[in-house]
Amino acid sequence: MRALSRRAALALGLGTAAALGGVDRARATPSEADEAIAKFTGGKQLGPGRISIDLPEIAENGTAVPLAVTVESPMTTADRITDVLVVADGNPNPRVAAFRFTPMSGRAEVATRIRLNATENVIVVARTGDGRFLTARKEVKVTIGGCGG
Amino acid sequence: MAEKPRIKVPKEAKKGEVVEIKTLLAHPMESGLRKNEAGALVPRKIINRFTCEFNGTLAFACALEPAIAANPYFQFTVRVEESGTFRFTWIDDDGTAITADESITVS
Amino acid sequence: MRSAALVAMLAAAVAAGLGVYVSPVSAQSAAPVPLAIDGDASARPWHRYHEWPQRDSARFNTLATLTSPPAPTAPRKLARPIAGDPALGAKLAADRARGGSCLACHVMGPAGGADLPGNVGPDLSEIGNAKLDDETLFNFIYDARVYNPDTLMPPWGTHGIFSDEEIGHLVAFLKTLKAPARFKSELDDPAKRPPPVEKRDNLDSMLNPAMWAVDEKAPALWTEPGPKGAACAGCHRDAAQAFKTWAATMPRWEPRLGKVLGIEEFVTRHAQATTGHAWPIESAENVGLAVYLRFLANGSTIAVDQESAPAKAAYERGEALAHHKVGQLNFACVDCHGAGRGAGKWIRGQWLGQMRGALDHYPTWRTSLQATWDVRKRFQWCQVAVWANELPPDAKEYADLELYLAAQSNGLKLNVPGIRH
Repeated sequence: MRALSRRAALALGLGTAAALGGVDRARATPSEADEAIAKFTGGKQLGPGRISIDLPEIAENGTAVPLAVTVESPMTTADRITDVLVVADGNPNPRVAAFRFTPMSGRAEVATRIRLNATENVIVVARTGDGRFLTARKEVKVTIGGCGG
Repeated sequence: MAEKPRIKVPKEAKKGEVVEIKTLLAHPMESGLRKNEAGALVPRKIINRFTCEFNGTLAFACALEPAIAANPYFQFTVRVEESGTFRFTWIDDDGTAITADESITVS
Repeated sequence: MRSAALVAMLAAAVAAGLGVYVSPVSAQSAAPVPLAIDGDASARPWHRYHEWPQRDSARFNTLATLTSPPAPTAPRKLARPIAGDPALGAKLAADRARGGSCLACHVMGPAGGADLPGNVGPDLSEIGNAKLDDETLFNFIYDARVYNPDTLMPPWGTHGIFSDEEIGHLVAFLKTLKAPARFKSELDDPAKRPPPVEKRDNLDSMLNPAMWAVDEKAPALWTEPGPKGAACAGCHRDAAQAFKTWAATMPRWEPRLGKVLGIEEFVTRHAQATTGHAWPIESAENVGLAVYLRFLANGSTIAVDQESAPAKAAYERGEALAHHKVGQLNFACVDCHGAGRGAGKWIRGQWLGQMRGALDHYPTWRTSLQATWDVRKRFQWCQVAVWANELPPDAKEYADLELYLAAQSNGLKLNVPGIRH
């Protein structure tokens, strides 16, 4: 029988769930997540507000969880967001992505799909044009399947 | 032969309008944590950078890690003041770049 | 003109759910459709996909065999009282490697951190107060069929999943459960957890990679000549028109093969006979075309024949198969998906759907595996998941089961490809 060729299987990303389910690397420690954030902020203080994180309360699995981030900002030269960091504190590597927004962005918002290892916090840090940092976080429960698959 | 990226950009917009853009590239985003059937780790091979330029100027960029899901998808906005061309670029760990262009008429 | 109007009327009656039998109108002429009759539509001997658990469960029932050990006729008598370790029992109850573990179906107080337990079985959080003796608790786990022949409990002892010593630990743990479970949030409580509602736009190519077959791959295959020099497009130039409702009438009985034919097997045999293309079931081409042919009929009302004599017989066989216990975990389809049994309940964090509405969206993109699955692969996985050996995807048992299952969705509209966990 012609099973999916290896190349086709890889192209379809087969096995990513196995990667997540079968990962025996330990979760990142909270300090590893903090380190990733400190690298982004240069150790500066984080303030609250203006960030909305759209994530499911329960994700059906951790393979492709839809994430949308919006940072309220007029996005003018004087008042804008320049960068957004996304961190997942339970992933083997807590850094998920860093986004660069520009004066051409219009809005500081982005939607994507991310991998989550297990139930964990997704932490968003935004950098403003004048070098301040804002943060928000949301917990996502990653469903444990019923029969091991 | 790599798959063509999938891109949704409006064909037209008004000057100053903020348009919504959606992009998708078929790519396994091999995290480096997956084991093959022989039990060996499959090496990491991901798209690590995505950029959107408009008329040669950077509008939006993303530095991706393995935690971006397979077939990386981004939805974002750009304010257009003039007609022109969007250039989207995806850069693989192995150095190859995939690009796609879409034009927009702004009145 | 009149007969077309009559067919349209009858089709409308079916759509209205009156159950009036409509002979499926052939998409083409009245002559039998060319099919390669010889051989199988997938590899023999069948070898399991290498990414799947490779456990061999030949000692236990499959849908085609009866090999499981018989249920005991009486409870076992314990020679001495149980001296189990409740801490070890708590660990075993939460161990997903042991057939889902107890938490798959039971809330059990603090076990597993009360993290997304299931509710197919009763809440056992206060079973320590129930004054059941050790022997009863032991036998319930060892083989609950001695108390209830219709039980959903896997026969953990008879089927060799837990040893007597391990069952002892589980009994010791059960006896410590004397207070209602305390959940960190409502999401963890299966009684309060909201059932998932599928709201995604499954036909959006930006969201559902299974649509790439519809956008590009299948149309390309449609015009690709095979070894005989012909392509699908040679006879079916306007695919969208020709297959506007066909998929909604499948699967169907095929007298030349003496079995029910699903779309996937039809594609293999028909493509072979006409174009020479070799597209066995589960090949990427076959899955892509199976998605495409159903997509072309999206919106049409599912109307699977279950009235003609061979279809009726197949339906009844399929129904029996849906009740046939398989595997080391000893489950039948209806145990998870039948009303009054598992349907509408949770196994760990996974919702169990009912049978009606299962087949209107297959093949489906599976987000957990980043792959498009047709229903035969889904059947195969369900077997492996309950520690049973699967059959080849074109097995006649799966064909009968598919007809039975598809008929449960009669009256619903096709909406393919789906997108699911």
